[in-house]
Amino acid sequence: MTIRARLTIWFAAVFALSLLVMGVGTFIEISEQLRHAHHRSADERAVHETIEMIVEAGLPAVLLGLLGGWWLVRRALAPVADLTRAVENIHDRNLAERLPRSGNGDELDRLTDVFNGMTARLDGSFQHIREFTLHASHELKTPLTILRAELETALRDPQATAAQRERLASQIDEIERLAKIVDGLTLLTKADAGQIALKRDPVRLDELVCESAADAEILAQPQAIQVRLGPCDQATVAGDRHRLRQLLLDLADNAVKYNHRNGTVDFSLRREGALAVLKISNSGPGLSADQQGRVFERFFRGATAQGQPVEGCGLGLSIAQWIVLAHGGNIEFSSQPNALTTVTVRLPLAQQSPQLGQPPSAFSV
Amino acid sequence: MHVLIVEDEKKMAALVRKALEAEGFMVAVRMRGDDGLEAALATPFDCLVLDIMLPGRDGLSVLRQLRAQGNRTPVLLLSARGEVNERVAGLNAGAEDYLPKPFAIAELVARVRALGRRGVESKATILQVADLTLDTIAHQAQRGGKVFDLTAREFRLLEFLMRSGGQICGRMSIIEKVWDYHFDPGTNLVDVYVRRLREKIDDGFEPKLLETVRGVGYLLRDGP
Repeated sequence: MTIRARLTIWFAAVFALSLLVMGVGTFIEISEQLRHAHHRSADERAVHETIEMIVEAGLPAVLLGLLGGWWLVRRALAPVADLTRAVENIHDRNLAERLPRSGNGDELDRLTDVFNGMTARLDGSFQHIREFTLHASHELKTPLTILRAELETALRDPQATAAQRERLASQIDEIERLAKIVDGLTLLTKADAGQIALKRDPVRLDELVCESAADAEILAQPQAIQVRLGPCDQATVAGDRHRLRQLLLDLADNAVKYNHRNGTVDFSLRREGALAVLKISNSGPGLSADQQGRVFERFFRGATAQGQPVEGCGLGLSIAQWIVLAHGGNIEFSSQPNALTTVTVRLPLAQQSPQLGQPPSAFSV
Repeated sequence: MHVLIVEDEKKMAALVRKALEAEGFMVAVRMRGDDGLEAALATPFDCLVLDIMLPGRDGLSVLRQLRAQGNRTPVLLLSARGEVNERVAGLNAGAEDYLPKPFAIAELVARVRALGRRGVESKATILQVADLTLDTIAHQAQRGGKVFDLTAREFRLLEFLMRSGGQICGRMSIIEKVWDYHFDPGTNLVDVYVRRLREKIDDGFEPKLLETVRGVGYLLRDGP
């Protein structure tokens, strides 16, 4: 039961009690008066008049009182409702915002202060974590470069045997993978902190889809995977060309990597209302229902992927999701074990306006 | 060729110096941004390798100061961040090239060499390596009388390899110049394309021209 309802019931009870007291008082008073006037059935008339007074004046007064009480309680609790709404809207990305104080120094103001203090401390902790990740990834890069350079120098040594060269080259590959993970982490941490500005140029999504289907075809050849480009409607979105290409390449690469020999990859791009809907489906081992919900988590890898020699940094879909969300779209992953896996991306189409013909700079923000 | 390296990480600077000296370049090293600026203004260099994070004065500020004083030495920026925005900021500040860490040393050497060559870069429309020729206007590549059927991307890749004149092309450079991706695509796209290109231009021909340099990239060998 809400506080408001409880208070209103208590209020009604108090009112009813006072009405009872008033009724009893009125009854005594009236019966006294009537007795003084030597009336015969004084008691009967007293009861009658009392009831009449209660019904005619008391009940409207009680109703009015109840309505007034309800209104008063509502007024009194409105700041609490506001505060609840404001606190509900707090998430990890807007911790820096503060709840507004009413400034009249009441208990709720004090509560607001306490909330603000708490979010400020949370904000501080989040910032610390982000800065730590950024610094850590930054600091890792110089030793990685040195390590890589040392290995490269060793690899060029004419006295190295073929087996040594193979080992050195494999170490360089691992350093590259480490570098990719560090890069991915840096990107996501910056994105979390809202430090990455995306461009908003008109981008022909259909052209990018064709391009990435062509790349996928090349990537798919060693595994004899068939890449098909289905309907590809002309679609222009307002976005960052560079990031959208990254998104498409990521998805295309996944569709080829988590596939099997002689499998298929299907691309399609459709306009649906104000949205561009991109679907990339691939055959492959697929994911079980409980794993699907986690595909966008950082460093998540499907059980089947772990069982196979699939390279990658485990951040591809997290980055893809960030790119889509940053463009105001959404991304869905659906899969069935040993059947088709489909990634659906919905992006808002650019407003059809004469500005579209102008150079991209007109769209930058 | 005279190269100035401004890099505060001792080991890093030593490795770069060694690699550049092995190519026969004259190399000077400064560890601080302000010292680097002074050195760059005092003596003419053919190329400047500049780290962004530096004590004394950061790399971008050194670069702006150089350009403000009318110094046009080609600059290769090194950065640990590797963000597109930073790349754009670096190029806007007047850098000719940008290399995110961790990079392959061979890639750095190739880029320094390319910067030193700047201005004398060949504008030729017909390129030739051994008996392989590529006509950028007719959009045609052939070897030993056989005309190849190349996709647009394969053509760009071949042109880039041929224009590099027998130098190693790092995977990062290929990704940048042929795909115009300024991020690590995290796929073996380059390797797969090169493999396909190799099948076309090397299968059935001798000598094999397209060589893999393990851990670094590829090389189109001119001559034996």
